[in-house]
Amino acid sequence: MRYALRASGTGQSGHRSPAARDAMTLRVLIVEDEPEFLRRFSAAVLSDPRLQLVGAVPTGQAGIELLDLERPDVLLLDLGLPDLRGVEVIRHAAAAHPGCDVLVVTMFGDDAHVVESIEAGATGYLLKDASTERVVASIHELHDGGAPISPGIARRVLTRFRVALKPAPADIGAPADTPVSPTPLTPRETELLRLTAKGLPFDEIGQLLGISSHTVVAHVKNIYRKLAVHSRSEAVYEASQLGLL
Amino acid sequence: MKALARAVRAAVALALALQAVAAAALEIDRMQRLEDAATTPPAASAPGWQEVPLPDASPGPSGAAPAEAFWYRARFDGPARGATPADGGWAVYLPYLYDGGQVWLNGALVGEVPESNAERRVRWERPHLFRLPPSLLRGDGANELAVRAAASPERAIRRFPRVQVGTLRALLPVYDRRLFWVRTMPQLTAFVCALTAGFVLAIWWRRRSEVLYGLFGVAAALWGVRTLTFVIETLPVDQWPVWRMVYLAATGGFIVVLALFAMQLAQVDRPWLRRALLAYWLLGPLWVVLSPASEPLVNRVWSAGLIPVGLGAIAAAIRTVAAQRTVASAVLPAAMLLALGAGVHDYVVSWSATASPPLLTGWFEQRIFLLHHAANLLLVAMGGLLTARFVHAMDALEDLNHTLESRVADRERRIAADFERMAELQRQNAATEARQAIMRDIHDGLGSRLFTSLSRVERGDMSELQIAEVLRACIADMRIALDALAPEDGDFRTALGNFLFRWQGQLEELHFQPSWRIDVPEGAAPALQSPQATLQLLRIAQEALTNVVKHARPGRVRVALRQAGDALTLEVEDEGPRRPPRPPADAPAGRGIDNMRARARQLGGTLELQHDAPGTRVRLHLPSAPPRALPGPRPAEVGPTA
Repeated sequence: MRYALRASGTGQSGHRSPAARDAMTLRVLIVEDEPEFLRRFSAAVLSDPRLQLVGAVPTGQAGIELLDLERPDVLLLDLGLPDLRGVEVIRHAAAAHPGCDVLVVTMFGDDAHVVESIEAGATGYLLKDASTERVVASIHELHDGGAPISPGIARRVLTRFRVALKPAPADIGAPADTPVSPTPLTPRETELLRLTAKGLPFDEIGQLLGISSHTVVAHVKNIYRKLAVHSRSEAVYEASQLGLL
Repeated sequence: MKALARAVRAAVALALALQAVAAAALEIDRMQRLEDAATTPPAASAPGWQEVPLPDASPGPSGAAPAEAFWYRARFDGPARGATPADGGWAVYLPYLYDGGQVWLNGALVGEVPESNAERRVRWERPHLFRLPPSLLRGDGANELAVRAAASPERAIRRFPRVQVGTLRALLPVYDRRLFWVRTMPQLTAFVCALTAGFVLAIWWRRRSEVLYGLFGVAAALWGVRTLTFVIETLPVDQWPVWRMVYLAATGGFIVVLALFAMQLAQVDRPWLRRALLAYWLLGPLWVVLSPASEPLVNRVWSAGLIPVGLGAIAAAIRTVAAQRTVASAVLPAAMLLALGAGVHDYVVSWSATASPPLLTGWFEQRIFLLHHAANLLLVAMGGLLTARFVHAMDALEDLNHTLESRVADRERRIAADFERMAELQRQNAATEARQAIMRDIHDGLGSRLFTSLSRVERGDMSELQIAEVLRACIADMRIALDALAPEDGDFRTALGNFLFRWQGQLEELHFQPSWRIDVPEGAAPALQSPQATLQLLRIAQEALTNVVKHARPGRVRVALRQAGDALTLEVEDEGPRRPPRPPADAPAGRGIDNMRARARQLGGTLELQHDAPGTRVRLHLPSAPPRALPGPRPAEVGPTA
């Protein structure tokens, strides 16, 4: 395949392949306030024998309760909930159930909403109009350790880490002696983000960095986790600066 | 002021030292005086000897035929018998002997100071010290000392000092000290005045507007000339009136120039007063030149006229202090007052008929003239003031420079801020224009498509599949608009990357194998500077990919964006249509292409469609520096083309 987001991937039908290495079924919780999409996503989950639907609720509060009760493997979460902000549910999931992968649903996949969710602890996102196959595939990919990243998101993640989009001329080759602002990102992760932000496809990035596409998507998931930690520590720092802590 | 204090201390020390040393030698304070013009000592038995206390001050010419000299005689005990006179033996010391004369010991002439005669005039300021030959000195008994003091007919008061007799060793320091103050000091003063005047006048010569420097230079020069009185002690008789004239001119001039200086400093500008002062100054010397005989009268009347001038100068200086209230402005009047005090002192010394006034007797008996020392101080004060003004001027200049610099910097900052504001306004303008263009685009494109579709749905003219297709296209349109607007710095690479990233999933689900390449140098895309240009480009790409999905055989789809020079090329290539191409006049297919062409025109570029066997290639070419996208005719509804 040309495109490396599917961690389990052997093409567009990868999720359908009998992936015997993980015989366990994934327990999925859906939180979505629009009945039409609640139905649609539930149908998608139910359509795959390796997925088990543990709940499908229309409010954030109910979502949190079910999350604590059922401890699902994957949370499929719509951001526009009537009672709670989506990021609050994500934060709860990330804090209370670190093993649970959060997959957020956005209408347009716009960078701002996605990055906000990633900062709260989500590691994947899904477009609202995604096909049933796409929904199922995304759940499996996410759980297998891969995460999608668009150029716009890569750009924003770099900004959040306060890393310059363009590398300083000196630090392309050797690690720079000059102490740049401390970032938890490894040089390889930084480079991956930079190349992605420039619009390079993943296979090309993998070739440039000399790694497999599976490693590339694993890197992306790591980056997302680091961003969540980074954002939390930054929030703590800012709160202590403000005298809130 | 420090210099002043030092001078006072020095003067006091001098007086004390003179007295102390005098006590070590034999000071003769009473002598017998005889008015007699004889050139040898008159006999002791001559009639008319009378005993007088020393220092003596006898009134001027007495009677019709004044004597040309006075004789003074006294007895003193010589060195004790057997005592070896050390260091050159004994000497006699006379602090002054203004008109010259002779010193006799035991009937023998031991020393002579030239007197005025037909060829020369004398005016001795220096002290005199004469060695007493040991052979003449009687060790066992009384020695007889006789001194002839010449009496100049012009002098109103003839003066004779206390005479000291003693060892040379005791008297020499006394003599040296007085010599320094009454002779060396004036020499130094004259020299320094000449140097200063030359220097300051040179400054004034180059900067005529600095009147104070000119006045100071002239004052220094005049004072130097006047001080020569104490330096030049003998003159040929024929040069005497000229010298007196010069002396008067210098003295009067100094006071007049001082007054002008004080006026200038006080910023009193009265040209008539200045002219009057200068005229008065010239009057005295001219008078003496025209009638040399009238010198005493000039001395008395004209010189007296200088006193109010000096007082006026002091008043002006004090007024300056009152106006300016600075320490610097007080220096000049202080020095002037000091000079005035010195002048009064000198007047008392010169004209007091009693040689020993009751007050400060010891000091006045020494007959030390202070005015020229005070005048030196005055010159120092004037010089100090000028120095202070110079320093102040330099400081002011520096301040001015600083002010100017900071003003220039201020102005530069303001201009920079203005530019910044203008640039910001332009950016806002551009952003607003871009936003409006995109809103128009959404309105005309998305809006019209939704309305058309609604109308067709209501008419029952659309299948569910067609409706879904339209809605998907609308959603895709929205996403493109969001992509084009999202990057804050308007980097089209990110927008295109997002676009392709999204299409990747769709294409793969439909069994296409997409690949793309963005081959544009970092940060440079002159053809795509505005969000709406990016939007147009994305719409063209969207249309092209939509056509691929609709018509092309599943297989490889290649998207490439290249920049060559400043020109930008977008290519979308597939593996050719599913069905054999219909005749070229295929109307619906042509409609999508027309839309793309219209958008390409708006971007200032061209669109080519190539049907290379077996694939199809859409090629958008944007030359460098496209004309500003004008809100020209909108493309027709960009809808499903099948």
